Amino acid sequence: MIRVLLFGVLATKTGTKEIELDVKTPVSLEALLEELRKRLPSLPEGEFLFAVNEEHASKETTVNDGDTVAIMPPFSGG
Amino acid sequence: MKEPVRIQKENFSVEEEVEAIKRTSKRIGAVVTFLGVARDFSKGHTIEALEFEQYEQMALKALRKLREDTLERFDIIDVRIVHRVARIPAGENIVLIVVASEHRKEAFSACSWCIDTLKKTVPLWKKEITPEGESWVEPHP
Repeated sequence: MIRVLLFGVLATKTGTKEIELDVKTPVSLEALLEELRKRLPSLPEGEFLFAVNEEHASKETTVNDGDTVAIMPPFSGG
Repeated sequence: MKEPVRIQKENFSVEEEVEAIKRTSKRIGAVVTFLGVARDFSKGHTIEALEFEQYEQMALKALRKLREDTLERFDIIDVRIVHRVARIPAGENIVLIVVASEHRKEAFSACSWCIDTLKKTVPLWKKEITPEGESWVEPHP
């Protein structure tokens, strides 16, 4: 089970802040994103930022069972 | 003394943060601040408030790293960073960066780099609350 957190516009558009995905692991973030789109078709297209277990990650990063993945729109602090 | 890097809901005092940095060293000859404030108008719309969301587990770590990187990159004495989250009514403070150095040039450069880098590296998102509704803000440099 992989815990996925969504932020900002991604959470608003999908109406989801957190979801658990039961996928075969290890899995790349790119593949996980495809899986997420099946569950949340309203997930917007665009450039996202990723973190795995609170560390910055890229699309190629591989995740494992029990990991927490954050999918984030570009930051807009300040 | 308050932590030099903080994320908080409540407002902050610019004067308190400047005094705090001045107390860290008598070598300080320049203090430069950047204060980000919530505007009441943007792209033709009246803004009542901004609302900031954070990825709490990462945002404070990212701000602390930003402080360390700023200290390492520039010939400065200290830097303090305070960012507010949750609802911020128009006219109130959002973010404060205070940089202290021996001479002004390095403090200006460090302060400018620090706010530019904060916008790119800290997981915070801004939503505009207008009389017509709410919308997430696209990042801009």
